[in-house]
Amino acid sequence: MIGIELARQWRRPRTLVTFAALASFTLVLTVALAASGGDRLQRVGDIPLFVVPDRSGIAVAVIALASTMKFFLPLAVAVFAGESVAGDAGWGSLRYALARPVSRTRYLLSKLVVALGFSIAAVVLVPLAALVAGTVAFGWHPFTAIDGSASTAIHSTIVTFASGAALARLGIGTAYVAAGMTSIFAFAFLLSTLTTRPFAAVAGGVGLTIVSRVLNADYLPGVAVLNHWMPNNDVDLWQHFFQDPYDTTGMGHFLALQLIYAGTFLAAAWWWFNRKDILT
Amino acid sequence: MADSSIPVVIEGLTKRLGRGVLAVDGLDLVVQRGQVVGLAGPNGAGKSVTLKILLGLVRPTSGRVELFGERIRPGAEVLGRVGALVDGPGFVPHLSGRENLRLAWRMTRGSERTTGLDRAIEIAGLGQAIDRPFKTYSHGMRYRLGLAQALLGTPELLLLDEPTTGLDPAHMREIRDAIAAAAASGTTVVFSSHLLSEVERICTHAAVMRAGRLVASGPVSELRGGSSLEDAYLSLVAGEAPADGAQSYRHASVEG
Repeated sequence: MIGIELARQWRRPRTLVTFAALASFTLVLTVALAASGGDRLQRVGDIPLFVVPDRSGIAVAVIALASTMKFFLPLAVAVFAGESVAGDAGWGSLRYALARPVSRTRYLLSKLVVALGFSIAAVVLVPLAALVAGTVAFGWHPFTAIDGSASTAIHSTIVTFASGAALARLGIGTAYVAAGMTSIFAFAFLLSTLTTRPFAAVAGGVGLTIVSRVLNADYLPGVAVLNHWMPNNDVDLWQHFFQDPYDTTGMGHFLALQLIYAGTFLAAAWWWFNRKDILT
Repeated sequence: MADSSIPVVIEGLTKRLGRGVLAVDGLDLVVQRGQVVGLAGPNGAGKSVTLKILLGLVRPTSGRVELFGERIRPGAEVLGRVGALVDGPGFVPHLSGRENLRLAWRMTRGSERTTGLDRAIEIAGLGQAIDRPFKTYSHGMRYRLGLAQALLGTPELLLLDEPTTGLDPAHMREIRDAIAAAAASGTTVVFSSHLLSEVERICTHAAVMRAGRLVASGPVSELRGGSSLEDAYLSLVAGEAPADGAQSYRHASVEG
């Protein structure tokens, strides 16, 4: 069942375009950094962390992950999750997939596993492609960053990681970002079971990302209390792994929040899909 | 009465859709093995919803529905013996007709044995086009592929919803011939149509629905009653036909 779903999805133009777009973004980023500013300090995130890209390919991967985690990656994840069931409904193949001796739970599971696999692949692709492009452009060197949170006007805290250690931290950071996509994934997946228009489900997932962004104290003073309850806001905390010593405050809360959101949305999707009349 | 030899048993079937609309209203219908039953009726009579209920796609509000003695629920085991073409064909657009049929075959049988698959490709009769992406197919080619999918693995019961809608006469004839061939080899067929000439030509029996109710059923020759089936049909579906009026036409099943 999963093999069949994979065969139906992987050669979809949309799947290929999504992966190609993410990979080419890292290329554009590398070229842009090489063309200008590669030798200057670049600010990454809100910690803040400053890196000099042309010192190490790993820095490019860190910048790439940081610059895609709040919009491009949620968009890609929303595409895979939102297209899953609604895509079948849109093609008219949903009724044939279900008019068989196959339980709806099993059908939904195969959709879930394949869409989840593509989503994880998208998150992994970004730092991986950036690492390759960055290493080709700037070489394989230890990773150096300035920890802005620990620095003052007259004193900079420079942290240097050996390549292996930096890679390990990048790997953990990537896993954290992937985990941070689950609420948006699950929301788009739920919408995908509700609508027969894939675009609506994808747009819903992107909409949740935007709501999460907007209900942020940076944009709307006074909603600070909501900050840490939004599905996507704390996805940037992985950057703390590039501090020394690193601070994991808030990460557990964010991961638990993902679990609660994703669990709720997926349970709702399962509940509804098992009761749904397939009229189209 | 869970009789595993009777392909279709519908008893007191009611389906209430959103906003309280009764799509099917107390329908009783029995289809015996080997019959080719034409389900006729105007648009909105409930034909299509009835077929979707038989496929486990739509849950009945009340009533009993059994295929080969097994109560229908979503994903019921007995659906492995049923082939269907409802609401038009639905395939993965970027895959070829052959790949689509192969995936459908694997989904149905869980294996990739090619017997039956080759037969279906033959039925589709698409020639070289079978290896082109589905999205390049014309309306007629799509329907032929849809019918080929319905006939995969030689189903014992074929449920077809308007299988010839929008086709030109030549394609209509091909689809009709394929249905007739399946019926000749023992497959029980239920298909909905608003083309009475079609029902008249290939069906042994007909059931006429109106506003979710069965207003007549029986052997085609009997329903026709000397005139054309069209005249008989129009007199059946015309007028007010209130519940009690419909009762007089109502038969418990398609007998004969």
